[in-house]
Amino acid sequence: MTDINMDRRGLLGAGILGAASLGLGTGASAKNPAPLAPHMSKADFAGAMKAFRAVVGNEWVFGDEDSVAPYTKVYVPDPTHRHVPVGAVCPETVEQVQEIVRIANTYKQPLWTVSTGKNMGYGMTAPATPGQVVLDLKRMNRILEVDADLGTCLLEPGVTYQQLKDYLVENNIPLWIDVPTVGPIASPVGNTLDRGVGYTPYGEHFMFQCGMEVVLADGQVMRTGMGSVKGSTAWQAFKWGYGPYIDGLFTQSNLGVVTKMGLWLMPKPPVYKPFMVRHAEMADVPRIIEAMRPLRVSNLVANCNLMMSASYQLAMFKRRNEIVPDGMPLDEASIKKAAKANGLGMWNTYFALYGTEQTVAGVEPIIRASLTASGGEVLTAAEMGDNPWFHHHSTLMEGGLNLDEIGLLRWRGAGGGLAWFAPVAAARGVEAERQTALAKEIVEKHGFDYTAAYAIGWRDLHHIIALLFDKSDAEQEKKADACYRELVTRFGAQGWASYRTGVNSMDLVAQQYGAVNREFNAKIKHALDPNGILAPGKSGII
Amino acid sequence: MPDKTTALAIAGVTLMALAAPAIAGQKLGEAQAIRTPETIYAKTCGYCHGRNVGPIILGRGLPAESVKYIVRHGQNGMPAFRPTEVKPEELEALAAWVEKSEARKGEHGQ
Repeated sequence: MTDINMDRRGLLGAGILGAASLGLGTGASAKNPAPLAPHMSKADFAGAMKAFRAVVGNEWVFGDEDSVAPYTKVYVPDPTHRHVPVGAVCPETVEQVQEIVRIANTYKQPLWTVSTGKNMGYGMTAPATPGQVVLDLKRMNRILEVDADLGTCLLEPGVTYQQLKDYLVENNIPLWIDVPTVGPIASPVGNTLDRGVGYTPYGEHFMFQCGMEVVLADGQVMRTGMGSVKGSTAWQAFKWGYGPYIDGLFTQSNLGVVTKMGLWLMPKPPVYKPFMVRHAEMADVPRIIEAMRPLRVSNLVANCNLMMSASYQLAMFKRRNEIVPDGMPLDEASIKKAAKANGLGMWNTYFALYGTEQTVAGVEPIIRASLTASGGEVLTAAEMGDNPWFHHHSTLMEGGLNLDEIGLLRWRGAGGGLAWFAPVAAARGVEAERQTALAKEIVEKHGFDYTAAYAIGWRDLHHIIALLFDKSDAEQEKKADACYRELVTRFGAQGWASYRTGVNSMDLVAQQYGAVNREFNAKIKHALDPNGILAPGKSGII
Repeated sequence: MPDKTTALAIAGVTLMALAAPAIAGQKLGEAQAIRTPETIYAKTCGYCHGRNVGPIILGRGLPAESVKYIVRHGQNGMPAFRPTEVKPEELEALAAWVEKSEARKGEHGQ
């Protein structure tokens, strides 16, 4: 850790302590407004907000508690109300973003950038550290180009998956989108910048990104890849450009404000056939992974394989007290009984085949043989019919839109509490066996349920744990916070760190990746953003 | 307070503005236009409400003021929607539409 880095981090800590000593706390309420950034005075903040208003108009700057309220809703545990923005500014053009960045430099006002602000269970529009003004890019929602021949598009950050899908359908363009779970209201640009994943063969979103436009912290506009070459027609066709490949620097980071992004879109295949494989026992997960890995690594199965536990599936459409009485542990026998009643196994693996009649017919027997040998029942629409879980996953795997998984938020009591914990391992069954045991031990110790899934991306295994709690219960929120931190540190000690995390834990997850990596990130940050105005604390980078 | 004629004229203009994009759709290079309540319900609210995830909200005479408050603040598992997502004029029309809506067959809530 460099001295300068320590200074910045120290300043932020001092700000929180300073606010507390003044009786301001760190959260927003009528009597207790969210604190400003530690180095800022009220006059600085007022000056910045006035200047923002001159750029975007009064109606698109929010600085009082009522108007900032929509920016404060979070699902993640935040028992000390640390993740509360002090305002929001909403530009509609790149030029306005440039002006806002220049103003932020003048007043040293930190900006927390969001695209559509719907990364649910990761923080939505809440910043990682106090005192930030949300730079809300939702008004920048132009679909700039769609090339039906090349299968590419160029989007602004405020475009939702719904908007893109509607455009393709209305214009009869036979290209698919690839959605995350909350597609209708989430942003392809934002999700790709967070290195989110989806369910079709184009599910590793950053892999299918091609070209960006970025407003840098000094207000300059830079285009990556071929975008900086005058007259190039390949900005959305060739990813690498020349020299160091820099697009990755703008993902999960705070080094610039991405204002345009190119994406590749999958041509609609002639045949799409979704499958579900039902396994009867919790202990089956290692053998599912061992059976699926060769199919995935060879690309015989071309999309991400999602292995959903029965408890995760039930939590989507059921309430906990429909399975076990309130206050009782969620025991395996009760889960199994409820799963069976709903056509589910203890693990439910979803994948699909995409291709022509001939290629699907050629591959299907190989896959069936392998998965049947693993002890699973291989099922299709013929057997599953209108089962709501099969319908949900079948929709996602063809780039369809739904918000079914918001149902998870209703699992416990009044609900509203969700934090995703997503550690990464190599795709080996033995890793899953150890991870499930450790996760169950930790969540159950804190009084929560193991509602989880595994996903084989390609050679990697993501363990996706939905930590569900009742956010209306302050004690439960505190326990969820403690539970989450224990998950991060104990999994980290085993070499399993998260691929992505919420604003509640960005610094903690960054610690799992080591001091050298953190210092490297900090050096780049300080070179590009010496005033620290872009999203301090994002991915633990200050 | 506007007189009746003015109010009707404003309502007419608003309705025209709301109706146009449903027919036209979003054009390349243009920001999303103002949407009708029907469109917003179909493309946002209706993914949860009446479809397993959220409670039914149509045909219950929910007061428009409550609808507006809940949209902007969220409620329990429901996220909040900002003025950049559902524009102020869209929310006015949506809340009035929800209040006056009829129940829909086939919707089911929890």
